[in-house]
Amino acid sequence: MKKLSSYALWLCMATSLYSYAQETTVVDGSSIFGDLSARQIGPALMSGRVNDLEIHPSNNKIVYLGAGGGGVWKSNDGGATFIPIFDDYIQSIGTITLDPNDPDKTIYVGTGETWTRNSVSYGNGLYKTTDGGSNWEKIGLENSERIASIVVNPDNSNEIYVAAMGALWGDNEERGVFKSTDGGLTWEKVLYVNQRTGCADLLMDPRNPSVLYASMWEFRRTGWSFDSGGENSALYKSIDGGKTWDKIHNGFPEGKLGRMGIAIAKSNPDVLYTVIEAEQKKDKGLYRSKDLGASWEQMNNDFEITVRPFYFSRLVVDPRNENVIYKGGLRGSVSKDGGKTFKGLGNMHSDVHDMVFSNIHSDIMFFATDGGVYRSWNGGTTCEIVENLPLSQFYQISVDNATPYNIYGGLQDNGSWYGPSASPGGIQARDWNSVGVGDGFRVLKHHTKNIIYSEMQGAENVWRIDQDNKQVKTIQPLPVEGHDKLRFNWNAPMALSTLAPDRIYMGSQFLHKSDNMGASWQIISPDLTTNDPAKQDQDNSGGLSKDNSGAENHTTIFTIAESDLDENIIWVGTDDGNVQVTQDGGKTWSNTVANIPGLPANTWCYHIELSTLERGTAYAVFDGHTANDKTPYAYKTSDFGKTWKSIITGGVEGVVRNIQVDYENPNLLFLGTELGLYITTDGGTQWYKFTNNVPAVAIHFIALQKQTNDLVLGTHGRGVIIIDDISPLRELSADNMQKKLHFFNAKPTVINEEASFSGSFGAETQFVGYNETTAAQIKYHLKKRHTFGKMSMVILNVKGDTISELGPGKTKGINIVNWNYTMKQPKVAKGKTFSFGGFTTPTLPAGEYTVRITKGKDVFEHPLVLVYDPKSIISVNDRNSKREAVMDMYNMIESLAYDVYCVDAYLTYAKDKKSKKLISKLDALKETMVITSGDNYVGASEPQLREKMTNLFQRVESNPGAPTTNELESWLQIKKRYNTTRETLSKIEKKYKLGKELSLKTKEQYLKK
Amino acid sequence: MRNNKPLMLIVFLLITQIFFAQTKEEIIANYIDNTGGAEAWNKLQGIKMTAKVSQGGMDIPIEMVQLKDGRQMTIVTFQGKEIKQGVYDGTRLWSHNFMTMEAEESDAEATANFKLESNDFPNPFLNYEKKGYTVELMGKETIQGAETFKIKLVQEPKMVDGQKEESVSYYFFDTENFVPIAMQSEIQSGPAKGVIAETSFSDYQEVDGLYFPFSMSQGEKDKPGQPITFTSIVVNPEVEDAAFAFPDKK
Repeated sequence: MKKLSSYALWLCMATSLYSYAQETTVVDGSSIFGDLSARQIGPALMSGRVNDLEIHPSNNKIVYLGAGGGGVWKSNDGGATFIPIFDDYIQSIGTITLDPNDPDKTIYVGTGETWTRNSVSYGNGLYKTTDGGSNWEKIGLENSERIASIVVNPDNSNEIYVAAMGALWGDNEERGVFKSTDGGLTWEKVLYVNQRTGCADLLMDPRNPSVLYASMWEFRRTGWSFDSGGENSALYKSIDGGKTWDKIHNGFPEGKLGRMGIAIAKSNPDVLYTVIEAEQKKDKGLYRSKDLGASWEQMNNDFEITVRPFYFSRLVVDPRNENVIYKGGLRGSVSKDGGKTFKGLGNMHSDVHDMVFSNIHSDIMFFATDGGVYRSWNGGTTCEIVENLPLSQFYQISVDNATPYNIYGGLQDNGSWYGPSASPGGIQARDWNSVGVGDGFRVLKHHTKNIIYSEMQGAENVWRIDQDNKQVKTIQPLPVEGHDKLRFNWNAPMALSTLAPDRIYMGSQFLHKSDNMGASWQIISPDLTTNDPAKQDQDNSGGLSKDNSGAENHTTIFTIAESDLDENIIWVGTDDGNVQVTQDGGKTWSNTVANIPGLPANTWCYHIELSTLERGTAYAVFDGHTANDKTPYAYKTSDFGKTWKSIITGGVEGVVRNIQVDYENPNLLFLGTELGLYITTDGGTQWYKFTNNVPAVAIHFIALQKQTNDLVLGTHGRGVIIIDDISPLRELSADNMQKKLHFFNAKPTVINEEASFSGSFGAETQFVGYNETTAAQIKYHLKKRHTFGKMSMVILNVKGDTISELGPGKTKGINIVNWNYTMKQPKVAKGKTFSFGGFTTPTLPAGEYTVRITKGKDVFEHPLVLVYDPKSIISVNDRNSKREAVMDMYNMIESLAYDVYCVDAYLTYAKDKKSKKLISKLDALKETMVITSGDNYVGASEPQLREKMTNLFQRVESNPGAPTTNELESWLQIKKRYNTTRETLSKIEKKYKLGKELSLKTKEQYLKK
Repeated sequence: MRNNKPLMLIVFLLITQIFFAQTKEEIIANYIDNTGGAEAWNKLQGIKMTAKVSQGGMDIPIEMVQLKDGRQMTIVTFQGKEIKQGVYDGTRLWSHNFMTMEAEESDAEATANFKLESNDFPNPFLNYEKKGYTVELMGKETIQGAETFKIKLVQEPKMVDGQKEESVSYYFFDTENFVPIAMQSEIQSGPAKGVIAETSFSDYQEVDGLYFPFSMSQGEKDKPGQPITFTSIVVNPEVEDAAFAFPDKK
């Protein structure tokens, strides 16, 4: 019995281990979503914030960047283009460092952005690759939140120092200077001050790896304030590899210190620079030491040197000249005289965060800004933007109902924009349209008029843009009698009504409603926030450097939603944690947050999404990161907030920013978190991580386009990402997933008849977003991946003839196969050159077709319907005329092909028989049938019958509508010539009895495809 | 005690299911065994594969020949004309120019790199140790919904723009049957340098005792690939030496 018990215990342990292993993998969606893949469409023209740059020490072609919210990118071509190499991991990047002893392969990435503005995301530790970025491993400091510097001992790659800044919004101990002596396997904290003070910069003397300089910074953000500086900020030096540290403040100002950047001159490491945030304005600025930090002298305190230290503290010294110093700043600046005087850098996006020098010449530089990366060939005087970095940081996006639909959205520091979901040749920079300046947030398209609303930070301006008349009107609600101070969030909420198209809502602490597109406003609520005065002192925010940009405005409304089912139902969520609802158009309000279980008080309500099917159903998500709480929160109510239920399960990572519910299947939900996209098909019992081309990026907003069922993601670091047509997810029931193969229902495919010139100028180095396919898509679910045996797919017409053979997908999960609904190309006569018109594949007519998949012995069939665009201007008669002409040409091209096949066979025969006369006659005939000399370019010969036929065939097939009279006349002429040729051939055949002499394929045999 | 045996078996099965780990050698050996065995693969002198690629609605007939001595070629037929691509005769690598339809040699670096692949027939894992290749089991990864062993293969370094670069690829072996269902490698040169290319394999079928994937899909990782399905694979085909020879310029 005792033994049995121990076995039972083993069994229990093993079983629980097994089930635990299953639980930890439940959110991996890679075995479900299959071919359902996203496309990234940018925009890249304004790019996004880049935190850090790193350049290869000996290969000038290799450059790395770490984006604020868009991951790690590598250039192999000297900065002309970049590719992402860190998409599976958190995208908020602090710093990138190459091992000086193995710079091609060993790279460290410290996550968590370090220029700590209000909207920064957070990191989750230190990563290392030893194969140049193909595989990454997290090697510790998981709770450091943001890593500012990594230094590898050039004499010993196992010795690594890391500057961990630590948590921005709360106390934590995983901050300070960490050291590893085993390549990152283990870490020792070698410099620590307290739970508010982290390491903001770290340097090593290039001559002596035991000499280190560390800048410690006391800092803290809340949702409503920022505090830089304190008694504990200090500059430290160690001369024993981090065992002991001493403050090096000789010559420093008195009092509290804030953030300090440090730099060392490689050409003379005795020379150090630091930029100091101090209590007194006169004491701030650049300081220089000529004696390894033993003493310091203030050099300069111009605006650019002292501006916003939390955002601009990077100092970089020219590795070839100790007196040339670059300083990050609003515009960035450079000194050529050791820091005494500075001049501004050339034109580039404002907010310069980092600078690097090429290893071959100091004039070749790269700059990291709030608007991407710039290259310069003259030390920053003239700068050119890298055009293929879609790092744009959306706060919100929306979509319209146009075809193709447009995406609207506002960007961090880069204004407001709209652009199409598809464009000829792909979505390029030129396709995006500016509709606002400053920081952009909510951008909404009027539901029925050609009017766009956009805004800038804190609703300082809200614009109504009349697109037709090119009129821009500023319409934000203004303070009025009785409401003399309005508190707008930096990211101020704006919402439209689907029931009253001219209605627009804005939220301050009150809900403002306008029924005339912002011409007049009515306040329809009391203060819906906590109105906590302790959170309204932004005038004193910033710490040692006042920073009242409006970014910390708090106790404000953050999200507004009017029900599509009843205009009197309006929900409001506030940044201080209230969830308010009215069912009578604002006369009475109910704060439902107390009914939400497990939600800490005052947690920021980031989004409320309303059901389009049930009046009382709403979803609310909450973001606690500004209270140092990174727990994901998502809730659902079905009774107007009287009760709420958590719909988060284990495995969902990252604070939640947004939720979208499907319009048809209420159990299908999409969740945007700080680490990517999650999808549930059962109302939230089980979430799956979606990764197919969606990086682990912060998803701030999700829209579902109703006509196309496209899921549109507004990311804060990787632009707009679209998953085309998510309708198969509606059918992912347990029953369907258990079938060997399940075809998903599809709407009829509209035959694409549009054509235009795309022009790909600039696309060599410019980002181009993929378009949605115009092909018919065959979608099915496979229970198991097909690996052994034959699996084929064909398309049948109504007669049951096979008209296309396609390569089926074999993936376990969703498979998507594109079919471009064309016939095969005609069999074309063999000539000396190609007949390019002969590569034309005629579009099949609208109608019913059948997809047949054969998998081993199993056969699966599903209907597929092609329709013409109901808005098309082409008549049925015109289509029939075109089809008739095209098929006439198609058949004649194939007849000619057979004739040439015969002529070639006769020629061989004639040559065998050495019949010069016959050879001569056949050669002469063939020369009129096909081109028999020249090449496919400018050496082309005079076109013959084949070329004339195929060229016209291509023209008529490509043109919309019926063939023109001119085309038909031309065809008649070609036909006559063909008939003459045919007669000549018949005569030759008859005269020389060629048909009987040779065993040729029949025409039917020859044309069999 | 006897009564406890089924329980022990369950415990053992559960534990082995959780903890049993395949070694890289076992995975590769299983793959070779399950697809015909090392002896048969070593005897193979060459293959000829016939396929039809569908591109923009067009059907393009393709024939590929690979021989044990490294010679290989791909023949594409357009409008009855044969265009040869990637022809290697043991010394020279050449292709037909699409404009002139005449043969042109590849650049010296491409030819030298191609030559390094001469010993990879029928696949690089056969006798990989003798070839000096290294393999590493990176763990398990889900590919196309299937659980796979991810194996890193390092072959002879290649020259890229005059610099020697390591040649690394990752193969994903289905944990159920040990055949590779996908391969990923970084594009090493050209404008797409750094992009991850992916090829997936399926429809394994037997030909004279050896199993070949009759279907492949090639493209960029996470993006739709171009499928190619072989209609026939012939082992030890007869191919004239002249077919590989670089034609004399007229």
